[in-house]
Amino acid sequence: MTTSQEPKTKKRRWRVTRRGFLLGAGATAGTLAIGVLAGRRPFYRFLAGQLDNASAPGGPAEDPIAWFEISPDNDISIFINRVEMGQGVHTSMAQIGAEELGIDFEQLTVVQAGTQKGAEPAAVTGGSNTISSAYLPLRKAAAAMREMLIIQAAGMLGAPAADLEAVSATVRSKSDADQSLTYGEIVAATTEWPELQEEPVLKEASEFQIIGRSIPRVDFEAKLTGQPVYGYDLKTEGMLYGAVIRPPTIEATLLSVNAGSAAERDGVVEVVVDEELGFAGVVATTRAAAWTAVNSLDVEWDEGHLWSQEELDDMLDFDMLDGYVIQKEGNALRVIDGEPTLAAEYRTPMAVHAHLEPQAAMADFQDGKLKIWTSTQGQGTVKGQIVAVLGMEEADVEVVPTYLGGGFGRRLNANVALEAALLARAVGRPVHVGWTRQEEMRHGYVRPSTRSQLSAKLNNNRIEALSHRQASGEVAFPFFPGFLQAIFGTDFGAWRGSFNFYEGIPNRQLGAYLARMPIKTGWWRGLGLMSNIFATESFMDEMAHAAGVDPLEFRLAHLSDDPFSQRMRGVLEAAAERAGYGESLPEGRAFGVACGPDVDTVVAMISEISVDDDGFITVHKVTQAIDAGLFINPDGAKAQAQGSIIMGLSSTLIEELTVSEGRVVPNNFDRYPLLTIDRAPEIEIVLLESDLQPRGMGEPPMGPVAASVANALFNLTGKRIRQLPLTPERVRAA
Amino acid sequence: MKLKINGQEVEIDDAYGSGLLIWAIRDGAGLMGTKFGCGAGICGSCTVHIDGEAVRSCITPVQNVVDADIRTLEGLPNEDGMLHPVQQAFIEQQVPQCAWCMSGQMMSAAALLEQNENPTQEEIVEAMSENYCRCGCYFRIKSAVARAAEIKQEMA
Repeated sequence: MTTSQEPKTKKRRWRVTRRGFLLGAGATAGTLAIGVLAGRRPFYRFLAGQLDNASAPGGPAEDPIAWFEISPDNDISIFINRVEMGQGVHTSMAQIGAEELGIDFEQLTVVQAGTQKGAEPAAVTGGSNTISSAYLPLRKAAAAMREMLIIQAAGMLGAPAADLEAVSATVRSKSDADQSLTYGEIVAATTEWPELQEEPVLKEASEFQIIGRSIPRVDFEAKLTGQPVYGYDLKTEGMLYGAVIRPPTIEATLLSVNAGSAAERDGVVEVVVDEELGFAGVVATTRAAAWTAVNSLDVEWDEGHLWSQEELDDMLDFDMLDGYVIQKEGNALRVIDGEPTLAAEYRTPMAVHAHLEPQAAMADFQDGKLKIWTSTQGQGTVKGQIVAVLGMEEADVEVVPTYLGGGFGRRLNANVALEAALLARAVGRPVHVGWTRQEEMRHGYVRPSTRSQLSAKLNNNRIEALSHRQASGEVAFPFFPGFLQAIFGTDFGAWRGSFNFYEGIPNRQLGAYLARMPIKTGWWRGLGLMSNIFATESFMDEMAHAAGVDPLEFRLAHLSDDPFSQRMRGVLEAAAERAGYGESLPEGRAFGVACGPDVDTVVAMISEISVDDDGFITVHKVTQAIDAGLFINPDGAKAQAQGSIIMGLSSTLIEELTVSEGRVVPNNFDRYPLLTIDRAPEIEIVLLESDLQPRGMGEPPMGPVAASVANALFNLTGKRIRQLPLTPERVRAA
Repeated sequence: MKLKINGQEVEIDDAYGSGLLIWAIRDGAGLMGTKFGCGAGICGSCTVHIDGEAVRSCITPVQNVVDADIRTLEGLPNEDGMLHPVQQAFIEQQVPQCAWCMSGQMMSAAALLEQNENPTQEEIVEAMSENYCRCGCYFRIKSAVARAAEIKQEMA
């Protein structure tokens, strides 16, 4: 197994075959190429109907999300149109492909596809949907390729196809081991590939030898030996360094800019000003020179209103915002009738992504063509932005994604590649732009703050009615055209995670309220998931205590018997059993439980915590049970859960982004610290496979993190804290 | 100017001489194993060894290390190219996710094992407590550093 980031083939044209996969035009030129046709997910199909087909998120419908190529030399590659940002999809997608292709995993080379090497890329990597959307299409395309090779080999060997089998990239006779051809030999001898007449037969799960195995990641050796595989690492002959002006406040607008004394500074090659775009930057021979010089540009800003945090908090006002009822069964408001058994309000703060590799891109503009290498989650989005702003032809812009030093949603919509492109075009030499941590802290977009009001009527120790009003800054809307916002009405990112899933509650209602904040808000790992589950699952505990029922039992009692509820019941019981829930703990410790679904993965979590006299919470152990259907790579799935738990705990215990006098307060980690290893708990992950359909793993495990810790804190101290993070100050004050 | 990096005299453009070590290593010497994270000496991504001590290269002036032995991730493998016990353990235990911080993590771990052949879990946590990992690989880092100590003793 090797990996490569530089695609080695020319741009392909694809033809959709009757069997629902793509045949590469190169198939008649010495290489067999089969593309994986995933089609659009329903959401993107809907968007495509509203937009020009090709510019819809998700790209043209015939985009391959991956493709396989076999050369006459028996080199077998999978080109992947999804990026590797730590989630391990290059390994797990390769596993799925190798399984059906009839090869050993080690025989497959994994290549990151750029925008110019296949069909146009299907836009983005995010939303925990890479594996769930790629699983069947990858298998079908690989199986089709295997079948085509067997049919060709049958002709070459003069044996019936039924007597042949594909093993280790060789087609051989089942009865005579000497009768065999390598895939490369078959490809070399074939000039015309006939279409498959029958649907390729997929393996039974019981036959899997590669899917379901914890195969080591394909990208680690390069990463752990310091190979230049990330966007920030790019370097080429004659390359210069760029830096760009940034507004002083969250609402600033540019009034005027000119070079000032920047051009005379040491190392400065060019000062680039485009007033129309509101863009100005410096190109220099070193990064330090660029960063220093950009501060000496003569820039005038209108700082706008100097927002305070209190003003931002006040914007989440249910009386001032439009609300949409997005879930309604029975009539919760009538049952509660202004006299709830209990009611509570929860808040969560803004947060930054804090991926440790700051934004980075290298652009090279030569002979009217632009090539960009960048750590991005959306190579298609980057390309579209550059085509639009620079007024270039699609065919003249190529975007090659590198490995990403973290993504977490921040690299779905970023300007760094555009900045590098503008500077490179101005100087006619390759330019690298790498952001500073200060730029990351203050000039990206943030997870919006949320506010939830819940009220309930209990009757006979059960929930008879539950009403939830959820308010948030925007998440998905900032990236959609206005007419789509009107069609959707609500921002699915903002209320993600707040749907009530306890089918045993007869009357329930969820209203979503959306605020447009003066600070840029947007995608963050799980979108609103953890913030919203913090509210709903904290309140579930409050209701359990009000009813005098154990919180775990209370949850189980409100789950129904449908398949989804059974899966949720399964993870709750598995987590409780593994954690020893209900058994006695040492003095000063308590358990807290929470659960939640996301992208049809169900997760239950038990936290075991203690708290000292200063209000400092220690999370000793976290147990999560997760049912995500089939696990392609169990160890990789566990890694995703462990990571989600840590990132979630960092938000639960520490992270809070605030604004003061119009500025984001922290400009580095000194005022926005992250969770470190000394606060990292023991983590136990229980994987449950309820069926054979893989689902998402990148975000769901983060859902219940904050609620389970807050619930444990109540069980331990009787203190109910309804605002994140759970800092020592808040614990002491509660 | 010249710097002694991983046992070799490396020629570096004078423009980097008045700046910070991280850029002399990355952009000057072209060794991209040392990662930039915060530029403030907090996150630990840029950790290198200066005369055997783990140091944050993003806040270290080049002028302070002109005569020093600088060791980066690229200098961890031995002369035969065999990966350092820390690298072996991090791969064996599949520690990283995005892996951007892992150079700094491994340099901190390698420095620990130079000074303490058989660290306890508490000593490992203490030594690693100033290296951020946003992907949240801490659980695996703890066990991998302990495993690296074992591998190092096996190799000795």
